[in-house]
Amino acid sequence: MDVLFGGFADAIRLLLSGDEDSWSITALTLRVSLTATAIALLVGLPLGAIVALARFPGRRILLAAANTGMGMPPVVVGLFVTVLLWRSGPLGGLGLLYTPTAMIVAQAAIATPIVIALVAAALQQVDPDFRVQMRGLGATPIRALVALLGEARLPLLAGAMAAFGAVVSEVGAAQMVGGNLVGQTRVLTTAAVLATSRGQFSLAIAFGMILLLIAFGVNLSLTLIQQQRTAPR
Amino acid sequence: MSAGIGCRDLRVHAGGRELLSVPELHVASGRTLAVLGPNGAGKSTLLRALGLLSSHRVSGQILLDGRPATRSQMRDAIGAVLQRPILRRGTVADNVISGLRFRGVSRREARDRARPWIEALALGPLADRDARSLSIGEAQRVSITRALAAGPRVLLLDEPFTGLDSTTRADLLADLRAALTGQPTATIMVTHDRQEALALAEETALLIGGRIRQHGPTTDVLDQPGDPDTARLLGYTNLLPPALTGLAETLVARPEHTRLVLDSHDEHDDDTRSVTGTLRRTVALGIATRVDVDTSAGPLTCLHPGDVLATELPPTGGEVRVRIRHARSLNDADQDEPAARLASGTRASTP
Repeated sequence: MDVLFGGFADAIRLLLSGDEDSWSITALTLRVSLTATAIALLVGLPLGAIVALARFPGRRILLAAANTGMGMPPVVVGLFVTVLLWRSGPLGGLGLLYTPTAMIVAQAAIATPIVIALVAAALQQVDPDFRVQMRGLGATPIRALVALLGEARLPLLAGAMAAFGAVVSEVGAAQMVGGNLVGQTRVLTTAAVLATSRGQFSLAIAFGMILLLIAFGVNLSLTLIQQQRTAPR
Repeated sequence: MSAGIGCRDLRVHAGGRELLSVPELHVASGRTLAVLGPNGAGKSTLLRALGLLSSHRVSGQILLDGRPATRSQMRDAIGAVLQRPILRRGTVADNVISGLRFRGVSRREARDRARPWIEALALGPLADRDARSLSIGEAQRVSITRALAAGPRVLLLDEPFTGLDSTTRADLLADLRAALTGQPTATIMVTHDRQEALALAEETALLIGGRIRQHGPTTDVLDQPGDPDTARLLGYTNLLPPALTGLAETLVARPEHTRLVLDSHDEHDDDTRSVTGTLRRTVALGIATRVDVDTSAGPLTCLHPGDVLATELPPTGGEVRVRIRHARSLNDADQDEPAARLASGTRASTP
């Protein structure tokens, strides 16, 4: 227990002292995970909407694939991205392995199926005639779609939170494609793993607390947006 | 052609099957057409096709003021009310203005323009309520007000009173009738309820199996079935073929006009309109008693007001005489010319 309490005390001291390394690791974590989440939303939102609203052969298979993708182990994604970006791999010429870009790619690949599956579920919860009713009041198809997204705002933002939560907390892919290079690709999760393996528990706990604070901060902002009472436009 | 909405050679297909085929239909501005049909007749399909809202394959022309309508012209013209009230997040007032907002009207102006409709449809006390907290009847009232507030030239109502309790339905029907009076709106309401057609529509079309079987003034159409299907739709559920009556043509009658002959001295009253059969069952329905009789040509249903005393009735399986007090004759020919059939007036013969 002493290790735990001592660790917490040291961690708080470390956080308050404004350790430069910790701040750069935190900044990189935010940059990588937020960018990956944004990419996943850009790709996943339209795909999820298509899977939910369009009728085409293979739609259910695509939805099942996205649902499976929600539970994909980050290590597997990391492995695929590593093989793709490996020097002799198909995209090896880009020289991206062990860069933050590679980590963003891997994390976006983890988050995209989550976004697709949750967007599809969110939109399918709304009455299937919602868009017809909006068009029947003079809305263009685009306007009707925007109204539908507004209607499904709560579960859509829950999808965004789930996607961010999945990438900010994963360690397997970040470690594999980033390599945990100090000052370059070290993020909070990989740093915490390393510190723990070295027995530097207070440092590991400090990283863990920052990670929790980030997750809480981002989710708090999304929750506040989600729960905002806005009138339909 | 006069102002209003219509169609020419309208056909709707889905999954290789023709759901609807309407050669011609027109509803003038300021008039209301009821499209009456059983479940699955294609009523909603017709309504959505007319509003260019269909997800099926639609061919033919949809006409606005006699000219083929573009999507954007139709968007500006319609206000639709679906069977289930689909409201958006927000207050009742926010919902009522959403049609105007879609048409680019500013929020302030939309609120001003919606206010008279909110008053006319008695939504004032609910205006600031969360739309999610409404009862089904209140929600449908909001849905109707929202469509009217958008100032549509074409109002499409898809069974708007289905699922409402009778008091709510009667109130809303009256308010809608009052709101539509004097408006230059061409209204099409699909329904399976004859009373709604009578209350709201000057004209009625009977739609069965994706085809309009009859079309004309509501009071005429509701009382002049042209074939067994429309007869059943209009409540003339008792079919009396020539084999049963000995007449040249088939008669149809409503259950409430079909009675068991319980008293032997009124038997000679009108012998041509009475038939014999065996009593299958009697069911007490509170204000009436339903008696089912099997005849050589099929079942008949009699509806007696009040309780028919069990002692008055013959036993189940016993022979009974059924008198039809008020029947209509069907002419099964020229099925493809409903308008001509209706115009001829031969269907109106009352025995």
